Amino acid sequence: MNNQSEPAHQPNAFEKVVDFVDERVGLKTIQAKMLNEPVPGGSRWAYAFGSCLLFIFIMQVVTGILLMFYYVPSTDHAYASTQYIIHEVDYGWFLLSYHFWGSSAMVVMVFAHMSQVFLWGAYKKPRELVWLVGLALFGLVMAFGFTGYLLPWDQRAYWATVVGVEIMDKTPIIGDFMSRFLKGGPTPGQMTLSRFFVIHVMILPAALMGLAGLHLFLFRKAGPAGPFRGTPEQIKAKTDYFFPRQIWKDIVAMASVFLIICSLAFIEPVVLLEEATPDPGDYHPEPEWYFLFLFQMLRLKIFAGEFGQFLGAVAIPGAFLAFLAALPFLDKNPERNIFRRPIALIGWIAIMAGILIFTVSAVLNREFLH
Amino acid sequence: MRMSNAKLGLLIFWPTFWTGFPIKMVIALLLLAAHVHPWEGAGLQALLLLSIPVDIWALGLCTRTVLLERINVDPPKGTGLRLWGYWAAFSVVYLPLLSFIVSGVKALTLAATEATIHVVEDNIVVIPIAEKISLELVMWGTPTTIVLIILLYGWLWGLGAMAQRFVRTATSVDGTFQDIVCRWDFLRIPKDQPLVLTAFTGTGVVLVLLFWGLIPVSTPHPHEEYEFVHVQKVEEKIVPKDVMKRAEQTLARAEATLKELETDKPASERPEEKTSALTKTVEAESK
Repeated sequence: MNNQSEPAHQPNAFEKVVDFVDERVGLKTIQAKMLNEPVPGGSRWAYAFGSCLLFIFIMQVVTGILLMFYYVPSTDHAYASTQYIIHEVDYGWFLLSYHFWGSSAMVVMVFAHMSQVFLWGAYKKPRELVWLVGLALFGLVMAFGFTGYLLPWDQRAYWATVVGVEIMDKTPIIGDFMSRFLKGGPTPGQMTLSRFFVIHVMILPAALMGLAGLHLFLFRKAGPAGPFRGTPEQIKAKTDYFFPRQIWKDIVAMASVFLIICSLAFIEPVVLLEEATPDPGDYHPEPEWYFLFLFQMLRLKIFAGEFGQFLGAVAIPGAFLAFLAALPFLDKNPERNIFRRPIALIGWIAIMAGILIFTVSAVLNREFLH
Repeated sequence: MRMSNAKLGLLIFWPTFWTGFPIKMVIALLLLAAHVHPWEGAGLQALLLLSIPVDIWALGLCTRTVLLERINVDPPKGTGLRLWGYWAAFSVVYLPLLSFIVSGVKALTLAATEATIHVVEDNIVVIPIAEKISLELVMWGTPTTIVLIILLYGWLWGLGAMAQRFVRTATSVDGTFQDIVCRWDFLRIPKDQPLVLTAFTGTGVVLVLLFWGLIPVSTPHPHEEYEFVHVQKVEEKIVPKDVMKRAEQTLARAEATLKELETDKPASERPEEKTSALTKTVEAESK
């Protein structure tokens, strides 16, 4: 009797819309699946890198599409249209600068994410495929940076591409074909720009979306690795859910990344050098900052000469990437605690220190070029 | 549960930094968008002043979380303000000292490095530029970085030591990890997931609108050397009636010229004269 006398809850208009959509697409199930995912060992700031990468990529797509409304991928108009974006299009300077700094943020975040996975030992069984697909994604991010760098068609863009393609040319077997294919002629010109543009806006985004989807699928299949310390019982006892703690950390990290990129766009907006010409003049060719360590390494006497250049530009980086790909299959030790893996810890510190030292050295080296 | 001072300091500092950082960045970005540099003058003062309540809130929140989750104790309210007060007083003395020591070590190791390189180059071998740059960097950078890390460790140790005082006076909490976490979460976060996410999204939208309202439409940093050359576009007013009238006049004149040429001039000269006259007329009209 009591139940009958109680007024039934009348859903409002918003609830009706939600129910309508839920009935058809299972909105509440998706929400529950996304937000109530168990996080073994509890939430961590270190887990936010992957979410940040996805966020940066989405922002790059959005800003990239907006830039494409104005950019003209021809050698006659690429420079002028980029200048037009910077000086004439409303907020164009900000969009271009955001896109520019976003690409750097993506490289930094990929490095941070890979480091975290390596230090956490999260590449080990059963997550070998997640690691391999992640490595391929790392290659795609680098390719995005390399192809996008040419598009403004100023001296910096032109000569960075010349240097990059020359390095690629040194690769055995496929090097010659790759450099001829990318350049489309003896020197960078219209064909180069067209090819770089198509690769940058069509091929790479499609490949990245496919591989990122596969990466997420494999990750969900294998499940999160959890912290490297503690017994399985201890980790299970500390299991938390994605909502609210991990989602809070992800939102904070994404907001931080967004705000840092915005600030950089404000403080150091994109400015073009002179329009690209086959004569470098006073300009000293230099690649983008994340390739500077490699560029500086090639200045060392040990890498002088044809063989030395091949060794420094192709053989060593290639061998290192091959080693990273083989890592889950070489390292069969189930121990994930980085403090009990001294070789891994020392190796990681040495590589990071090496990259840092050579990058700073390349910046200091600029003084000796003028 | 006993924890070392340095570890406790790091466990509190790391989330505190990340909790306060985006809020400070929002303030800095809004200042930037409003043409006020947040790293100098009034902008810096405003940023530092507004950062104080943010830091107090973040420090209190993160200290309570760490003490509850890691040490199973619940510190009293006002922990953030008191701990911030102690740590600020400590940092006022410690951080300038840290800066002074690190600068001193850097100057000393830099001088020693230069002297060593001179001795090597004068007596043994001339080192190529690229090698010399990296070698010098390693020689002065390594000891300076080690000293910096040790001093930062000391700074975090200080924070941990201050936080230990709150551990001693806090009430202990019983229960499993999940119980503690859930209880603490429910104190701060509504259970309604869509409500929380909508609130976040709403705040984000408001900030984005504010940001786009403030930022300049054209670049605030025009490059001195490679500035875009603005071509002044002359806007021509087109009055359809006038255009029609001019066209009719042109045609009438052209017709008259044609007639005149056909009747007056010899046949052999007609085509050439006709063309040049027409051209002249059209050219004159177009001017």
